[in-house]
Amino acid sequence: MDPETMKLLAAGISMGVGAIGPGIGIGILGMGAMNALGRNPEARGAILTNMMIAIAMAEAVAIYALVIAVILIFVA
Amino acid sequence: MAEQKPAPAKQTGKKIGCLGCSFSLGIFIFIITVLVLFIVSLALGPIGQGFLGIKPPDWLSVPTPHVLLPAEAIFHIGPFAVTNSLITTWLTMVLLVILALTIVKRSKIIPSRAQSAIESVFEWLYNFCKEVAGEKNGRKFFPIITTIILFVLFNGWLSLLPGFGSILAHTEEGSVPLLRGANTDINTPLALALISFVFIEAVGITSGGFHYLKKFMNVGRLGKGFGKLFKGQVKSGLGDMFFGIIDGVVSLIEFISEFFRIISLTFRLFGNMIGGEILVLMFLFLFFVTPIIIPHGLELIFGLIQALIFGFLTLVFASIAATPHEGEGH
Repeated sequence: MDPETMKLLAAGISMGVGAIGPGIGIGILGMGAMNALGRNPEARGAILTNMMIAIAMAEAVAIYALVIAVILIFVA
Repeated sequence: MAEQKPAPAKQTGKKIGCLGCSFSLGIFIFIITVLVLFIVSLALGPIGQGFLGIKPPDWLSVPTPHVLLPAEAIFHIGPFAVTNSLITTWLTMVLLVILALTIVKRSKIIPSRAQSAIESVFEWLYNFCKEVAGEKNGRKFFPIITTIILFVLFNGWLSLLPGFGSILAHTEEGSVPLLRGANTDINTPLALALISFVFIEAVGITSGGFHYLKKFMNVGRLGKGFGKLFKGQVKSGLGDMFFGIIDGVVSLIEFISEFFRIISLTFRLFGNMIGGEILVLMFLFLFFVTPIIIPHGLELIFGLIQALIFGFLTLVFASIAATPHEGEGH
């Protein structure tokens, strides 16, 4: 296989596999937030704020994979 | 009170909207128009060209999106290249300074609506800082955190205005966009991450002194273990040496993770912003009219969230660095 094909394939695989972990992580975070919200609906502000922060941290890992894929397609 | 007679109410069941139609009819027409535009743009774009073989007129075709990761230089001042993202950064700075001067000059004791809106934003940010970092530290950190948040926010939201990416400048490399969102060039997030790093270390050193730096070179226990070996207490000396090596490795990892924060902050902001821009370009290429609203709206939300995350992470790390390190087994 020539390098061009390999680069495109690598970009696809990197983004695909790299999104599995953060996807599961964000799902678990959402479940925890829903549980907490169900138990204590008055603490809605604090729960939602902390959930957004934790989701942004988990999403950063997926963004790292996206950056690798973008570099592979456009720069390498 | 006497002037306020109730207006003659038309007691019909529907609300009267504009053009004399009822409200629900207006919504219906709006939805039909959006659907028609969506189908037209699907058919005339590249998807329609591929499947149906329709050739759209020339003025409707969008060129293939061309994303360059490094920003393109517009002109040079001596050896210094002025790129299009630098021009956008200047625009953001000018806008923020004008906003600040206007608020300060026109502020009254009884605030107008615009002034109270802006004041509520600043009060929310101040409470945010105080909630995360405590009373005293929150007040100390508030200026720089607010600067970081507002700068990243305005950079992100300004790049949604029309003209960003479409106004072309003709340089020697061809036609490049004159304005480009400042967060999509990797230099801006890198600069902000370096500023955050220096700020966090400065907070740690000014509030903890030398003990803050000793946290990263925790060889005290190892030295004690060596001393005990020489004095003849072999067993406790070896135990101390073992735990001292573990302490040393942990402090080395903490030292490296301080530097890794720069990379993670940079790539979080840069990746989100360039992902949003690539999404907008791809949607613009595939459909040319209505569905572009979807990534455009996502850019609004993501710009706000990423600005808050950047500021919040800097705040959390600074407040961790400012609290005195309680000794664990010294």
